Amino acid sequence: MLHLIESILYDCVYHSAPIILCVLGGMFAYKANVLNIALEGMMLNGAFVSILTYHLTQNMLLTLLLTVVSTMLYGLIFSYLGVTMKGNVIIIGLAINMITTAVAGFVLVVMKSANIILQNFDLNALKINIPVIEDIPVLGAILSGHPPITYFSLAMIFLMYVLMYHTKFGIYVRVVGESEEAAKSIGLRTDFYKYAAVLIGAVGCALGGMNLSLERLGLFTNDMVAGRGFIAVAAIYCGQGRPVQSAFYAILFGLSRALAINLSVYAGNAAGLFDCIPYILMIAILAIASYSKRKNIKVRGF
Amino acid sequence: MTDKKINGLVRSFLNCLIPIGLAFLIGAIVILAIGENPLEAYGILFKKSFFTPVGFQNTLHYAGPMILTGLAIAITFKANVYNMGVEGSLLIGAFSAGIVGAFLTGLPSIPTKLICFAVAIVFGVAYALIAAFLKVKFRADEMVVTMMMNYALAKVLEYLATSVFRDSGSGYVCTPMVSDAAMFNRIFGKSRLTAFFFVVVLLLVIMYIVMKKSKLGYEVTAMGLNPEFAEATGMSVGKKIVIIMMISGALAGIAGAGWMLEDQYRYTLTFSGNPGLGWDGMLIALMGGHNPIGILVAAIFYAGLKTGADSINMYTNIPKEIVALIQGLIVLFLAVKFISEKFALAKKAKAKKEA
Repeated sequence: MLHLIESILYDCVYHSAPIILCVLGGMFAYKANVLNIALEGMMLNGAFVSILTYHLTQNMLLTLLLTVVSTMLYGLIFSYLGVTMKGNVIIIGLAINMITTAVAGFVLVVMKSANIILQNFDLNALKINIPVIEDIPVLGAILSGHPPITYFSLAMIFLMYVLMYHTKFGIYVRVVGESEEAAKSIGLRTDFYKYAAVLIGAVGCALGGMNLSLERLGLFTNDMVAGRGFIAVAAIYCGQGRPVQSAFYAILFGLSRALAINLSVYAGNAAGLFDCIPYILMIAILAIASYSKRKNIKVRGF
Repeated sequence: MTDKKINGLVRSFLNCLIPIGLAFLIGAIVILAIGENPLEAYGILFKKSFFTPVGFQNTLHYAGPMILTGLAIAITFKANVYNMGVEGSLLIGAFSAGIVGAFLTGLPSIPTKLICFAVAIVFGVAYALIAAFLKVKFRADEMVVTMMMNYALAKVLEYLATSVFRDSGSGYVCTPMVSDAAMFNRIFGKSRLTAFFFVVVLLLVIMYIVMKKSKLGYEVTAMGLNPEFAEATGMSVGKKIVIIMMISGALAGIAGAGWMLEDQYRYTLTFSGNPGLGWDGMLIALMGGHNPIGILVAAIFYAGLKTGADSINMYTNIPKEIVALIQGLIVLFLAVKFISEKFALAKKAKAKKEA
């Protein structure tokens, strides 16, 4: 029993990490009032480019660099069309999601393979065992033995909180989102902050995708992101773009996913149904969060 | 026609043509990059799907469900309600119609089909209503909710297809085949076109009247332009959201049932293709400017691309994913208005003529 709980909580950390990164990146765009639903596609791009580069070069530093740069390129396309050209950001986001899938699919077909699996890739070598915590009975089994980006994601919750609330940059991003006219009147370059917000999201998604494919599994399939980007969007909505709260909802999703996986062993035939629990949970949370947010507002309209 | 009207027409035409041109241009560069000839590929694509009788009939066949999903998207997007659940409504409609079509026997052809469609509509509408309810009562963002629901539904249908309703006689995961009475037969034998296409045309005409001539259509436009204003004039925006979501769900359900009974005959895990028919509908609605006539043209154009993708796969070495890429690029460029409303085209043309 204790072993099962340990395993559930370890998996919770494991499944939360990519979504936390996505959430922490995406919330800046949310605060700057640029709804970025391309998180899904950007994450897929991160997952794809990281595996592909590592497959071709076996160079981790170059992999990290190319993953981040290529995903930022999508971020630039997004912000150029959405901010500078004033296009509809929802449609641009959906288009980027379609394009990243198509690009990955296209390259896979050109490579004549249905997926990329890294040969001779030692996943265990990436896992970091934290010296002291490792030896603490339950805590060690849960917190120790994760890959670097997972720890990075947990540290980012704190760092992004500081960036959002205790730096000039964070305040300006929020001002741009809350009142663009006010931001302009005090001489802020609003477009600059919107670009920056979207690009932070792109970096978060790149790392999240890299964590998802390269660090955790060493393989890539074209459907592996499976809505995690949209879950991140839902978590950002639920937490109203506040770092700690939004990350909390991401962890909640990770927990329900971990429960689904660990308990499905006992479910026999119905195991497949467990996979839909995280999504339904997110809908329920979003409904409750939206309801309590709007309850006290007397303004009409949607 | 007044200058203003001509301006509007030319503008919307160009705003549709420029994105398509740009997307094909980038597609051509990608094809060149893998060492193939883009002109040859595009030639095959358009020749096979538009300029042979069988090919064109097949194109119309593929266009059928996409016209319906295009309409289903258009009526919600036009009101600024981002219903991404069209794909889900389509799948649940198709699945239920497929099950009813397989297990309902002993009735003549027309009642069987009607029952299949009725069941599909009920499920499609019920699915869309969940999101509408959460939007109106809880103010939960419909886009996120419908996205999440699509993933959950896909898992549920996968479970049902692999266990409860699995066709045990088949080597892969699928439901039993629908009965002969439920199937639509091919009209011309050689091409895949069936009588379902006429159902689609009928629904298109009805939707044209609803969107262009009825009070509801006007209200949808008003909601899209300014929901606060619409509410202030005494419209119940919440009620309208429920109604348009129901219409959207019904259209998507019919599209799914039609695709089931005229082409697939059984639910498989790749029933709707990749990207699914609901997503295709989004591109079509955008390309057609949320206008029924525009949607008809866009659906035929896009179905041509889809038929053409198979031809490209068959006659060249280019992966058919190139068409998915071009599709994504079209959506990307459609999001931006290249020619703004201030740009007075007719005036310029006139000035040129006079000069």
